[in-house]
Amino acid sequence: MTVNTVRAAAIASPATRKGPKRWYHHATGRQAALINVLLTIGAVTMLVPFVWMVLTSLKSPAELAQFPPTVLPQEWMFSNYAATLDAAPFGTYFRNSLIIASTHTIITIALGSLAGYALARVYFRGREAIFLAFVAMLMIPTYTKIVPQFLLVKFMPLFGGNDIFGQGGIGWLNSWWALIIPGGLSASAIFLFRQFYLSLPKDLEEAARLDGLGEFRIYAQIYTPLIKPAIATVGLLTFQDSWNNFLWPLLVTTSADLRVIQVGLAVFQQLDNTQWQYLMAGTTMATVPMVLLFIFAQKYFIQGFTNAGIK
Amino acid sequence: MEVKSRMRRTASVAMVALMGLGLVACSAGGSDTPLDPDEVSGEISLLTPIFEGSPGQDLLEDELLPKFYEEYPNVKVNVDYTTYGNLNEKLTTAVVSGLVPDVMLMGVGWVEGFASKNVLADLGELGLSESSLKEKYTDAIVDAGTWDGKVYAVPIMLDTRFGVARMDILKEAGYDSPPSSWEELIEIAEATTVRSSSGKLERAGFDMLSLDARQAFETMLFSAGGDIFNDDDTEPTFNGPEGVAALGLMSDLINKYKVEDIGFTSTDDIVNPLINGRAAMGIAHNNLWSQTLAADPTVIDNLEPFLIQGEAPGMFFGGTLATVAKNSKSPQAARALLEFLSSPEAALAANEQRGNVPALTELLDSDYVQSNRFVQFAMENLDVAKREGGPAKWLEVRGDVAPAVQSALLGQSTPEKALDDLAGLVQSAIDR
Amino acid sequence: MTTTDRHPVQSDSAPPTGMSVKKLPKRAGHISIAEKRRRRAGWLMITPSVIHVGLWTAIPVLATFYLSFTDYNIFDAPNWIWLDNYIEMFQDPVFVQSIWNTIWYTFWTVPVAMAVAVVVAVLLNQGLKMQKFYRTAFFVPQVTATVAIAMVWLWIFNPQYGLLNAALESIGLPGQAWLVDPTWALPSVILVGAWQGIGIKMLIYIAALQNIDESLYEAASLDGASSIRKFFSITVPMLKPATFFVFIISIIGAFQVFDQIYVLTDGGPANATTMMTYEVYRSAFQEFRMGMAAAQSVVLFAFLLFVTLISRRATKEED
Repeated sequence: MTVNTVRAAAIASPATRKGPKRWYHHATGRQAALINVLLTIGAVTMLVPFVWMVLTSLKSPAELAQFPPTVLPQEWMFSNYAATLDAAPFGTYFRNSLIIASTHTIITIALGSLAGYALARVYFRGREAIFLAFVAMLMIPTYTKIVPQFLLVKFMPLFGGNDIFGQGGIGWLNSWWALIIPGGLSASAIFLFRQFYLSLPKDLEEAARLDGLGEFRIYAQIYTPLIKPAIATVGLLTFQDSWNNFLWPLLVTTSADLRVIQVGLAVFQQLDNTQWQYLMAGTTMATVPMVLLFIFAQKYFIQGFTNAGIK
Repeated sequence: MEVKSRMRRTASVAMVALMGLGLVACSAGGSDTPLDPDEVSGEISLLTPIFEGSPGQDLLEDELLPKFYEEYPNVKVNVDYTTYGNLNEKLTTAVVSGLVPDVMLMGVGWVEGFASKNVLADLGELGLSESSLKEKYTDAIVDAGTWDGKVYAVPIMLDTRFGVARMDILKEAGYDSPPSSWEELIEIAEATTVRSSSGKLERAGFDMLSLDARQAFETMLFSAGGDIFNDDDTEPTFNGPEGVAALGLMSDLINKYKVEDIGFTSTDDIVNPLINGRAAMGIAHNNLWSQTLAADPTVIDNLEPFLIQGEAPGMFFGGTLATVAKNSKSPQAARALLEFLSSPEAALAANEQRGNVPALTELLDSDYVQSNRFVQFAMENLDVAKREGGPAKWLEVRGDVAPAVQSALLGQSTPEKALDDLAGLVQSAIDR
Repeated sequence: MTTTDRHPVQSDSAPPTGMSVKKLPKRAGHISIAEKRRRRAGWLMITPSVIHVGLWTAIPVLATFYLSFTDYNIFDAPNWIWLDNYIEMFQDPVFVQSIWNTIWYTFWTVPVAMAVAVVVAVLLNQGLKMQKFYRTAFFVPQVTATVAIAMVWLWIFNPQYGLLNAALESIGLPGQAWLVDPTWALPSVILVGAWQGIGIKMLIYIAALQNIDESLYEAASLDGASSIRKFFSITVPMLKPATFFVFIISIIGAFQVFDQIYVLTDGGPANATTMMTYEVYRSAFQEFRMGMAAAQSVVLFAFLLFVTLISRRATKEED
């Protein structure tokens, strides 16, 4: 093995590493059929709620009241979708959710991968303590942390009419800052990145170091391109978390202009009265972008590392 | 009221927020005279769990508030919409951070707790008197907004629960009117219950499960002539003979007379069983009327409201009330908004939108009330309606009621034991 | 935390790929300039995250610890009450029950969902024709709103007309009242939890599978190893870092289960499905007892920390 082949393997463009080179590629005939049957059963089980949601969103209140419940709508009420969109300013909400989820995703991938790399591949004093502290941060439930977080936002110095001691104004409340910054990074993303950097072989960095590459370049040019599946995973999960977040955006904003899609959906669930057809139509519209994003992200789930040159 | 909270009330009117950062001193100017619209000014905030969603928002911002601005041109209102499901989280962060909205709409049962902790302004000091309110509202409803002899809230809309019968089903079984006593209720319920040959319940004679277990029990308790607390709200009384009888009846209806099975329906079900004929009678919310109109208008004439009659007529009311923050910087503007939102015009519009019951007695004659039989029925019987709450700690304990009721209905414990255990829990919270 | 500091080199527990040259980092004393530069770079890389997590999470967590020893009720200034909250909560039968429910829920959902997820991930990594569709299908519950999922499961579990009872009755078994029967409510909730947890775990496993070197399988194939054998001797060990993550995150998620309970059972019937986070929520936002909610959270924290440290030790000892 030579340094150059390692680097070549590592830095090579993904195109050369694509291709169906799966180790099970001999699964044929009856074996493949069996696998397909099992997976189809599983897939159907997984899809039932989604399909039921879509079907419910297309029923009339009269049909929803029927007993036993119908499966397919007797009359396909596509007008439910228009009515849903009229029930709240979903255009604004959709835009806000998109902005928040996208920025959260970008911040998380950038900072999280850096931190994950440092925790996995650079030795420095206190590394283990920091890692464990990050994981420990996940162990207190949201409902307990949310009030102190709210206060941090409210007393943010020099913002929203606050003085240097955070007094006198509303801080970041009712602003984009509150929606974007506090939720911008989660410790679980750092954790996931760390595990993925850990799983990569050490040969690459040693070779790169012999070549005189600095730590940031090893991070950016050698290792990070190899964990595209991890980046896609973190991106998907971050985006989804942020997209589905409800309580925090509701608490830190007072103006309807800054509210998000999940807040819009809540109006269909009044006390003692839920408008199921609209709730399901709205939920479908909120879910479809996530499904599309997943389908899109799948193209990054490709073999990230082949050790062609190493034997 | 209990000694500890009184001491705290008098000790300080400051709310010290977490980490000792926020300190908000409060003072409220008093005035016994009517408001002079030109004198009243300021920018105020409104926190509301109603008017949510576009229809509500349009009603409030395009129809109601313009009228308010016409009257009070120097006041500006910023509205913060929430839902009842998250009202507590909004109120919590508001109180903790000291940013309490000037006007807050909250539910029956909330007022006592917030008033006892000096969050709410004494409306008497702002020029509203209890006696003038009692001219406009039924006494029990005014009481829902008072604490320790002072008025802190003015009602806007009520949510009521009472008995509803499907008269078509009852007539088929040979009954011409809804039950007028517990005995009759049991008899009719048994007669209208339908089970398949395999014993599977197809129609419940009397449905109590599509309503929150706590509210169902309270409605039955009121019909037994009982109360949740004693007169000065220092002790629970729901575990007295009336409560045991009420919970005993509920348990018997399920376990002895078998007029409904656990799991037959639930609060999460898409549709109330009275609408599709899966129940002959039941306890229901007044908005069953508007739900039925949306789902199946053909059965609307078959729905007959009735008071569940035991030792007393039983009807439950909750509702939404308007309050003013004690530390409001523009208390007079806040009072003006509160009066506006509870005025006949605004209250009627808000109620109509949700299919709810206006609190103002004079609205009984309005077209809306006359066109909605359940709302009309509720208003006509408000004098016998009772509510939840009383002690300042009500919010703290109310979540424990449903599990206790369920344990009795499931036969895990006797009604007596379930209620005594619950009363012990409630008493210790009150004494804390 | 000191126990773990004795093993500072986590990278040593990287999968035994047979290729990595184990090299202990140089201890303080003789650090080269390059090594110093590396460490500085490491610190630079991690600083933004430390600041962010420190401000937005560590401070609230510390506040939680402090408040757990107070009677903070959002209205009055907190009074220090030592261990009163802790004493009270362990005398509260409902909270004690929520601890058992939570442990039971975690005990079943995490291993079941993990096992299913890893098998599905491997099956969905072989280049099947319908692979993209299957992957999407298995991920869909993860993105479908909990309220929609709850609606469907309420329908499946409905004692009157639910799918589950219909299926049972068709093979001659008696139907149950599932979510409203104290005996069956918790198992029903566990079933939903395991089902819903598969998607995210599968996703992480699929991502991790992309990092396994093909040549290992090729070499094993030459030796005539069966698929099953390759799965246990190559795939499982190579997935160790991912498994550690999935395990810890799943345990944390299961211990903090809330949404599902909130929409499916509200903790009922008669507290049969109440969970620790549900009790925390009730204390904080229904009862306004922030001090108590904080104390309950600290107990939750202690459980999770214990499990994490144990599992870390277990994974180390294997090396």
